Amino acid sequence: MSLGANSGTYLDQFPGEAKVIRTAFYSSFIALGIGALMGLLQVFHRLDILRLIPSEDYYSYLTLHAVLLVLTFSIFFLVGVFTWAVTTSLDRGLEDLRYTWGWYGLMAVGTLMAGVAIIGGFFDSIPMSAAVLYTFYAPLQAHPLFYLGLALFIVGSWLAGLDWFRSWWAWRSENPDERIPLPTFMALTTTLFWIISSMGVAISVVVFLLPWSLGLIGQVDALLTRTLFWFFGHAVVYFWLMPAYMLWYVMLPKISGGKLFSDPLARVVFVLFLILSTPTGIHHQYLDPGIAEGFKFIVMVNTMFLLLPSLLTAFTVVASMEHGARQRGGTGYFGWLRALPWRDPVFAGMALAGLMFAAAGFSGMINAGMNINYLVHNTWWIVGHFHLTIGTAVALTFMATTYWFLPQLTNKEIWSKSVGLAQVLLWFVGMTLMSNAMHRSGLVGVPRRTAEPQYSGFDYEVAAGSMAELNMQVAIGGTLLFISTLLFLTVVVMTVWGSKVDTLPANGYAETLSGPEDAPLVLDNLKLWTAIAVVLVVLAYALPLASIIGRRGLFGPGGSPSPQFIDTLVFTGQAIVDSAVGVIR
Amino acid sequence: MKIHTYEKFWLAASMLLIVGFILTITYGTVGIGIAMVDDSADTVDPDNLGDHPKFSDPGVEQVGENEYDVYVRALQFAFIPGDVEVPANSTVTFHVTSSDVIHSYSVVGTNANTMVIPGEVATITVETEEPGEHGIICTEYCGSGHHNMAGKLIIVPEDEFELEEEQ
Amino acid sequence: MSSKLQREIGHDEFDPKGTLALITIYFVIISVLWIFMYFVEFLGNDLTVVGAIA
Repeated sequence: MSLGANSGTYLDQFPGEAKVIRTAFYSSFIALGIGALMGLLQVFHRLDILRLIPSEDYYSYLTLHAVLLVLTFSIFFLVGVFTWAVTTSLDRGLEDLRYTWGWYGLMAVGTLMAGVAIIGGFFDSIPMSAAVLYTFYAPLQAHPLFYLGLALFIVGSWLAGLDWFRSWWAWRSENPDERIPLPTFMALTTTLFWIISSMGVAISVVVFLLPWSLGLIGQVDALLTRTLFWFFGHAVVYFWLMPAYMLWYVMLPKISGGKLFSDPLARVVFVLFLILSTPTGIHHQYLDPGIAEGFKFIVMVNTMFLLLPSLLTAFTVVASMEHGARQRGGTGYFGWLRALPWRDPVFAGMALAGLMFAAAGFSGMINAGMNINYLVHNTWWIVGHFHLTIGTAVALTFMATTYWFLPQLTNKEIWSKSVGLAQVLLWFVGMTLMSNAMHRSGLVGVPRRTAEPQYSGFDYEVAAGSMAELNMQVAIGGTLLFISTLLFLTVVVMTVWGSKVDTLPANGYAETLSGPEDAPLVLDNLKLWTAIAVVLVVLAYALPLASIIGRRGLFGPGGSPSPQFIDTLVFTGQAIVDSAVGVIR
Repeated sequence: MKIHTYEKFWLAASMLLIVGFILTITYGTVGIGIAMVDDSADTVDPDNLGDHPKFSDPGVEQVGENEYDVYVRALQFAFIPGDVEVPANSTVTFHVTSSDVIHSYSVVGTNANTMVIPGEVATITVETEEPGEHGIICTEYCGSGHHNMAGKLIIVPEDEFELEEEQ
Repeated sequence: MSSKLQREIGHDEFDPKGTLALITIYFVIISVLWIFMYFVEFLGNDLTVVGAIA
């Protein structure tokens, strides 16, 4: 289903929704700018090129970088993209824009609260901090504001998902016999596994970490909260990735001048992600004591099968591009690649993001392997890996498609396509250098998450090349990435500043070569797939969680909190609780 | 549902890859005997490691003709003991626990690498070969002094190895 | 985009042989790298963790 040419831009069709999406995008871009600056400062600090702050404060940089980029930048952008996808493909506005602004507000307030808690770490005068990194493993303890902000943000994202469901329910009652349009199908399946998986972190934060940070409970279990974090922690990467996949499926073929190769297989892929995203989280805990090897093996099998939808995506997406290229006159086994619109930043960015994702797929396969984790766990290899996935497959796709979305949302032409093209190319080059060097450094044992990877007692043994060469690659790569971000933000600001035109292409997305009529009806049975997803989650997690609680109790065998903040509020809270307990006694 | 022949081929190739990966890992486990750190050790009370028979006085001890146990306590921001000396060509089992937050015990540039979680005793067994020195670092962020948390694994020739007297 | 369209290709006449070529190359690269990583980088590394020897 593609919209006619007369329906105008997205702003013409849905002015109210366009405003929400614009606002979500701008929130996302502010996070991108600050997060990228933190990234640059981290590169310089780690490599000992420039250390602006004491190493003790480095971890506040790192927390801010991770939280702003993986949670704020990605999720604000993706709620915008899914809102676009649902409204465009159902051809109807959202049910109630006040509700929509409500979830946006909740997410924004949550981000600000967590952000304030983290930024407090940089200033001695502000008695709060949250240098607990993006994973906030207890007993490291952040300011309560951090946990509260996180909880609000997640609830906001759930309400966003519900908004898309409300649109679909309303549409379904008017179109009872129609197939779910593909973009809506993708948004809904993603929402479902996001809600299932983020239940884990929500329980961890609301039941354990928040009351504990307020002094209401004395201790929490390190292993249980960590396991609940990873219950969500792997599925969340698919939450970031699915909108990028969706754009590769429904946007890239159109930009390439072709059609989506197969709608049915696209549905199969999203169903596989729905059922397999969550029961894989323990693969982040292969090296954890307290979890039996058998559980780790089961989770590895699930994780390996999760490769399947990504490998299928590679075929379908490349074939769709090839279709476009051949319609544009491309020939031969490889010659068709030249017929693609490489000068269009939207296309070039998305295609390069896909190429980087193919490389990321490989390091991901290594990460999925159970015992080979001894080689790479917690090394810089892992950082190299996820800068290719979230940092490129997702981020570069989002930036590239912004050059398509922004005109749709503002009726203004992109300020400069050449700058846009330079921007996506710089990102590609910068990330190639940085990620390659991170992977190689990881293999010789350079750790992730440290302010000073230089130790006095030993040297890293680099077999080919040298540590200096690897560090140089990271420094140059990181700098190029920062410049690329600045260029991106410049194009956004200059575009928004520009004046409206009426020559823009109409809103729409790719048509299909093999459409939904070829897809078995069962694929649209969301209840069935959700039930299977829940069963698989129970199978993968019931025994490990029962075993952890059985061995260690619900609140762990001991261990005092390790506050990464100093705050009178908590001591006051603690004092109140203590005196209350005293009165009761 | 129409599936193109090439796509069927790719589906088969993908399944082959996935099964091949799982078989490789299984070969490592069953054929070579690589064990994952697991839940076989009993839990300990991280607040009272001083009362533990082993962790109250951690260090190296000989448990067999050519077998050694190494007990290590990890805490913000050090390992006790920091430097560990073991003989070459021996079987060494590390037992590592934490008295505060989550740490790791990672021998740099080798496969000896484990998370250290309060309440659990991470137990990993390795076979030492040539004499030499490796750094040991904590690779899990554990607080503001995380980057200072390091030690050394010194593998000495068998004939030069001597256990230190009990302190 | 459509202005550059030189011909219309339907589902049944489209044979994605270029895609087949690219993914076959990908398959080979992945397989070789996997074997290298597992058997050279990992198993060739020092201090592999083995089961407790009884």
